[in-house]
Amino acid sequence: MPISGVLLDVGINHYLVLSALLFTMGMIGVLMRKNVIVILMSIELMLNAVNLTFITFSTYNANLNGQIMVFFVMTIAAAEAGVGLALAVAIYKKFKEVNIRFFEQLRG
Amino acid sequence: MMSAIFFYILATLILVFAYKTITANNPIHCALYLAITMINLAFLFFGLNAPFIGGVQLVVYAGAVMVLFVMVLMLFDLKSEIRAFSRGLFSGLLKIASAGLIFGILSNAIFKTGDLLGLASGGPGMPDPAGTSRDLAIMLFTKYLFAFEALGLLLLLVAVGAVAVSRIKGGTHAN
Repeated sequence: MPISGVLLDVGINHYLVLSALLFTMGMIGVLMRKNVIVILMSIELMLNAVNLTFITFSTYNANLNGQIMVFFVMTIAAAEAGVGLALAVAIYKKFKEVNIRFFEQLRG
Repeated sequence: MMSAIFFYILATLILVFAYKTITANNPIHCALYLAITMINLAFLFFGLNAPFIGGVQLVVYAGAVMVLFVMVLMLFDLKSEIRAFSRGLFSGLLKIASAGLIFGILSNAIFKTGDLLGLASGGPGMPDPAGTSRDLAIMLFTKYLFAFEALGLLLLLVAVGAVAVSRIKGGTHAN
């Protein structure tokens, strides 16, 4: 049975390269930005790239375990965003700014 | 042919808006571009015969998580940042170079191992999308039931922990 799907005749490498590019962009965002919330957004970007890889392999292998894994990754990413934003709120209440340089000093 | 055009349009949109996510000065604009990126990724998931995951992507990521981000940003009342990027030419170049190195390693792995997988041309296809969601639900509630319940427990703990963390009066920084 051939692969059937709307977007599937471009081959698996296209999806994987797109995912690698997206992951690299998220990594550059994490490394270069100073705002904690933008860093969290870049982490979400990296998680999305990994999800794309999981879905690609799941579809091309006709194996649903990848989609289950993406479901778990999404839930844990939502939890991580919640905790990270709570930490950002705590930082903001103390310093009135959310900048990564306030994480440098952990002792008052 | 048509589907290749659709893929390239979606891929271009995803990459352009991901680039704007990490370069926009105003964090609200970052959130908007990230939401657009996630919506485009959801369409890519629909095209990859994963309609349930695409819907979850739309509802959870582009809906709930982005609303959380935007709500916290509104709470902070941040202006456009004066210096959004970290300083230092050498360290900046080092960061870009390490990211490029990661991309090189990844793409090298992709192109070197493409033949080993043996699934690009002759692999079996998925059943129709409706059957996919049904099989996914059956798997989630039989084989992965314990992990699913553990995930529910994790979400409960995170809900309590987020409230507790955001009520911290300063911890070791308290004065």
